[in-house]
Amino acid sequence: MPGATMPGAASGTMSTTYTYTSRPRAPPCRLRYSMSQPPDEPLPFGNIMYDRRVVRGNTYALQRGHAIDEHAQKLQETKKRVAAKRRAQEQLRPHTPEPVEGRKHVDVQTELYLEEIADRIIEADMECQTDAFLDKPPTPLFIPAKTGQDVATQIEEGELFDFDLEVKPMLEVLVGKTIEQALLEVMEEEELADLRATQHEYEELRNVELAEVQRLEEQERRHREEKERRKQQQWEVMQKHQETAQKIAARAFSQRYLSDLLPSVFGSLKDGGYFFDPVERDIELGFLPWLMNEVDKTIEHSMVGRTVLDMLIREVVERRLATYERKEDKHPFLSPEEVPGIPGPLRDPTMGYGFQEQRPLPSADVPYDKLMEEEEEEEDPIGLRRSLGRGEQLQDRESWEG
Amino acid sequence: MAKTWISMYLPPDINPAQASIAYGSRALPKLNEELQSDDLRTRQKALMALCDLMHDPEHVYVAIDIGCLASLRTLLRDTNHVVRIKTTEVLSIMATHNVGRDGFLKHNIILALSHLLNDPQPACRQNLHLAFKHLSQVPSGAKGIVHSGLIPSLVRKLHREEESIQATLLDTLAACLQEDATEALSSRVVPFLKEKLLSPNDTIRCKAARTLIAVSIPLEGKKQIWRYDVIPLLVHLLQDQVEEVKANAAGALMYATVTTEGKYAALDAEAIQPLLGLLLSSLQKARLNAIKALTMLAEAPEGRRMLKANVHNFRALERDPSEAVQRAARVAIKVIEWKP
Repeated sequence: MPGATMPGAASGTMSTTYTYTSRPRAPPCRLRYSMSQPPDEPLPFGNIMYDRRVVRGNTYALQRGHAIDEHAQKLQETKKRVAAKRRAQEQLRPHTPEPVEGRKHVDVQTELYLEEIADRIIEADMECQTDAFLDKPPTPLFIPAKTGQDVATQIEEGELFDFDLEVKPMLEVLVGKTIEQALLEVMEEEELADLRATQHEYEELRNVELAEVQRLEEQERRHREEKERRKQQQWEVMQKHQETAQKIAARAFSQRYLSDLLPSVFGSLKDGGYFFDPVERDIELGFLPWLMNEVDKTIEHSMVGRTVLDMLIREVVERRLATYERKEDKHPFLSPEEVPGIPGPLRDPTMGYGFQEQRPLPSADVPYDKLMEEEEEEEDPIGLRRSLGRGEQLQDRESWEG
Repeated sequence: MAKTWISMYLPPDINPAQASIAYGSRALPKLNEELQSDDLRTRQKALMALCDLMHDPEHVYVAIDIGCLASLRTLLRDTNHVVRIKTTEVLSIMATHNVGRDGFLKHNIILALSHLLNDPQPACRQNLHLAFKHLSQVPSGAKGIVHSGLIPSLVRKLHREEESIQATLLDTLAACLQEDATEALSSRVVPFLKEKLLSPNDTIRCKAARTLIAVSIPLEGKKQIWRYDVIPLLVHLLQDQVEEVKANAAGALMYATVTTEGKYAALDAEAIQPLLGLLLSSLQKARLNAIKALTMLAEAPEGRRMLKANVHNFRALERDPSEAVQRAARVAIKVIEWKP
């Protein structure tokens, strides 16, 4: 419990004076068992008669009993400790050595002025006495020091204001502001209503115009569609017309084309020989080729015969020629008439029968004749004049021929 | 009388829900900083102040210039629902101005807003759809919405949302579909619209018919309308109580009967009689649409035959005060009396 300044407690710094005040309060009771103070519950009052801390008995012979609170206990313990420490230190401290045998240490004063040291304390008696009670003089009137300036006011006549007069402008302002605000709002509403009315009117007109536009559009669209449809129909009709006309034309044409199909077909078939009289056919196919073959054969036979005959004649003529030549060599005289006569008849039969094998022979003869004539002429310029005459020339020719 | 003492407290907040707006040109930058603060109350108060300021187009321009949209975009994902509601409100107010719409398209707010389509707070969704509706009033805005691919999800939402939101949604869709209807047509918008045509709520019917007009402009839309048998329903609507519904139904019929199948479907559903009745309507839009629808039907031979007897109605309309009606009546007479 806090009391006066504690010996061990720190008393603060040296600059501030320490003061402590506390209200008087009843000491709380200390239960024997709980050494620590319970902080939460209100401390119950204790009976002062039974409080251990109250000192009983003589106060002039103060006996310090065992300290109950631990602070004192702690202090005591520290004191004990300090004392013990000091004692320990004392023992360790070097003392003056013990006196030598036969001698004794004695304390001696060494100051300049000696002093008598005696046990008896010099005492002197003093006494004091208060005066007899005097009447307390009356306390002087406490007048605090005057501070500040002295000011005085004085309300003259007519300076106090008249509320009714003064309040008027204020009220006017207040009411005016409110009414102004209200007017503003009302005007706003009116303006808005006006605007809305004009807007509605405009909207009506606009709606009407828009409807008109849409109607005209719709009308236009319908007319256009109708026109398109009609055109389409017309076009289809025309198409149909055309188609029908084409069909008719095609039909007529094909009819005409095919009208003489039948006779022409029959005609061409007949021409192609598809219709035939079997007997005629048979005659044509069978009999006539055979007849022709036979005729051919017969003619061939005669031809062959003639050829053979021709060959024979030729052979004979050649042999004769050869024989005549031999004879001429021996006798160079020959009748010229016979000589041209022989090629003549030789030529005639060949020409007459048209055999191709004989032809090269006369053609061969002709170039030979020409050759002969050329040779003759060649011989002439060479200057070999033969005075044989034509007969000799003929002979030469013959010799070449042979 | 008031006391003479000067009070030690700050003057009481006139509007504790709003942040104090700084003077002059510091107002918006300061609000922008407060929007990015970590304290919830600061953000909420700044948003309330911003709501009031955004009604002025000059402030909108300055706000977008200093980059308020980025902070607003972050706030859209805030966990506190008041913040989200207020942010969507600010954005919807900004979308009513052209500058705001341009800013939306540039800073890609549409995508950030689309994350809130499934928000649990109905007020938040309402503001969101209002913002989309304002954005779609302008063609570039509508194009932006179409490009971001939101149309299928919007069409699906048509089914599940409450009525007031449905009305806004239908307006948005009508404007967007006038730009480009192909995506919507592929996400079954026609059956949904058909259901809405039968709704008991007048506004819903009216707007559904108007969206159908937008749907039936492209050819694909007309085909789908004919396929899903919406034409008899439209003819039935021609006899509705509300003039606006009749006018819009006539408009949708006018577009749907451009195709031949549409024409014959309308003739089968006996559309001519109600349309003739509509010619005398007080609403100019109704007269115009009815004349046009009858012109479409007169293109078909059966229609022409039936309308030949009623040419005098059209002649009467030629003297109508409006020029557009006169023109339309003349065109109708020309078509009826055309000989092939």
